Amino acid sequence: MPVFAVNNVLHMTSLVPHIVNGLTLGLLFALIALGFTLIVGVMEVINLAHGSLFTLGAYLAMSTIGASWFAGTPFGIWWLEFPLNVRYFLGLALGPVLAGAVGMLLELCLRPTYGKAPLYGLLLTFGAAIVVEEAIRLVWGTGEQSMPVPQMISGAFLMGGLIFSTYKFYAAGFAIVAILMVWLFLERTPYGAIIKAGAHDSEMVRALGYDLGRLRLLVFGFGSALAGIAGMVMAPIWGLRPHLGIDVVIPAFLIIVIGGVGSFWGAVAAAILVGLATGITGAYAPAWSLMSMYILLIAIVGFRARGLLGRRSALEN
Amino acid sequence: MITLSDIPARSQMPLTLPMGIFVVVMATAPFWLARVGLYQYLGVEIAIWVLFAMGFNLLFGYTGLHSFGHGAYLGIGAYAFGLFQHHAAISLWGGLFAAIAAASVAGAVVGAFLSHRRGIYYALLTIGFGQVFWFSAMKLHWLTGGEDGLLNIPRPDLVIGPWRFDLNDNAVFYWFVAAITIAAVLLMWRVVNAPVGRVLQAIRQNETRARFVGYDVWRWKWLAFTISAAFAGLAGGLFSMAQQSAYPDVMSLHQSGIIVMMVLVGGGLVSFWGPVLGVVLYFVARDVLGGLTEAWLLWYGLLFVIMVMVRPEGMAGLLHVLLRRTSGQVSTVKPEKA
Repeated sequence: MPVFAVNNVLHMTSLVPHIVNGLTLGLLFALIALGFTLIVGVMEVINLAHGSLFTLGAYLAMSTIGASWFAGTPFGIWWLEFPLNVRYFLGLALGPVLAGAVGMLLELCLRPTYGKAPLYGLLLTFGAAIVVEEAIRLVWGTGEQSMPVPQMISGAFLMGGLIFSTYKFYAAGFAIVAILMVWLFLERTPYGAIIKAGAHDSEMVRALGYDLGRLRLLVFGFGSALAGIAGMVMAPIWGLRPHLGIDVVIPAFLIIVIGGVGSFWGAVAAAILVGLATGITGAYAPAWSLMSMYILLIAIVGFRARGLLGRRSALEN
Repeated sequence: MITLSDIPARSQMPLTLPMGIFVVVMATAPFWLARVGLYQYLGVEIAIWVLFAMGFNLLFGYTGLHSFGHGAYLGIGAYAFGLFQHHAAISLWGGLFAAIAAASVAGAVVGAFLSHRRGIYYALLTIGFGQVFWFSAMKLHWLTGGEDGLLNIPRPDLVIGPWRFDLNDNAVFYWFVAAITIAAVLLMWRVVNAPVGRVLQAIRQNETRARFVGYDVWRWKWLAFTISAAFAGLAGGLFSMAQQSAYPDVMSLHQSGIIVMMVLVGGGLVSFWGPVLGVVLYFVARDVLGGLTEAWLLWYGLLFVIMVMVRPEGMAGLLHVLLRRTSGQVSTVKPEKA
């Protein structure tokens, strides 16, 4: 069939939007994986509730913006008179903070599992993921909801004869800023130094007089808040449904392992790789685009046991 | 903390008390299920998941290999049974054989990739492969029927000599499933008490040491995965008969995680019979709590979280401690004969 053959040949120019899509998706994956890699690096806990905290943060932000619970009250009416921009930024602040608080609660529950096999932390957070997901279902219902977005970052624009969504660019830019800020925080502040020292040798950090319990609590809270931020930013693209968490935690998990456990830039590189693989597969076989990340995982971890830039970790035992 | 060797599967007697209770309860279930407010089909479900969970625990509890994608092999068994009925022949044993064979082959191929890995990387690769199978089941419409799955899978009659049993009757079907489950569990009992079981437990306790002693650890890990996948496939074949359909949902990460929860809550890490308790608790909780509230999984999840925090050895461990306290025994570890 000649027609079929012609359609199947994709020129480089027609691949451009898929590559751009893949790159933005990769940056967003990096944003999702950021909090996850922080918690894995410092505490060697695989936080399977990361995706649920992501979803929870997004739901809380949506409720803040739309005043869903208190819409009928005088406070809600007063609140809804504010322009969307103001409410949006408050949601952006409040959703992640509350997700961080839930994360801290989770850290307190995790304490009995420290010093045991990593399996127990993994299992506990899996249980927590189910609890959070069911709680979301109970509060917000099972249906799909959408997140309101201010006018200035919605819509689409034309570039080189191709249409791009403005919001995706905003989200990708947000991801770049967030990644750089977390990196600066870890590399250029004394708090970052303590966190990295905690990941390297927690006993020594304790011996130096730092409160390890509080450090872990704060790192977990910070990582969960980052999950909430990612959820808030991703929600307008992916939509909001209670079981979103599992669609999110798996890519985060894959990215950490492909990048190498404990490596910051390894995770970012892996995220962009996964995003590009998904985007380019989407050009040739859209139905299979999400499968590409698993193939990538098997290909990379099959040959490089510790991922791209990984070091030896206690999680291997 | 208690470990598997404190509640040994091995005993001087060929028949132990838990085994007797298990066989009697399974064999008499149809007579009392309705009296305690439950129903026949629940018995079928529990029997199938007991088979799946016990097979999974050979890998999870005994060998210490944490697979989080085991639902895939149940699903492969279910699809294989259904495809056999639709495209080859209406045959009970043929279908079940196809289910076991398909799951074993899939398990053997995946196991070959996995067996060099340890710890969290092992768990992660099982998730990766599980997702690949699940995704394929969703997308290969021409083979699997996509999200709806394979429908109208018949339950072929069971023919033993001159007798013919109609398995469409749920009571008869229960006897059939229970018989297969009991046979499979007794086979597993044999496996864990044979030298093979000892090697698998040695790998769990210390993989490096097992290698130094001279065992080809890679091959044993591969074998454990394949055997476990084969039992999952058998359970899958029965599952597709029970549901008269096969669908991708059972292969999802969620379901694979649920089976891990069942095994852990029951106490699969410390006891051969632990998974049975876990499966029964899960299904009874689903029906009893599910009748009271939509969000029963929320409560089950909370129970699970608390269990991991305070009693990771599960119900079997709890039972063991209680029994030991009431009988005033100091230790149940019997000296082995040389």
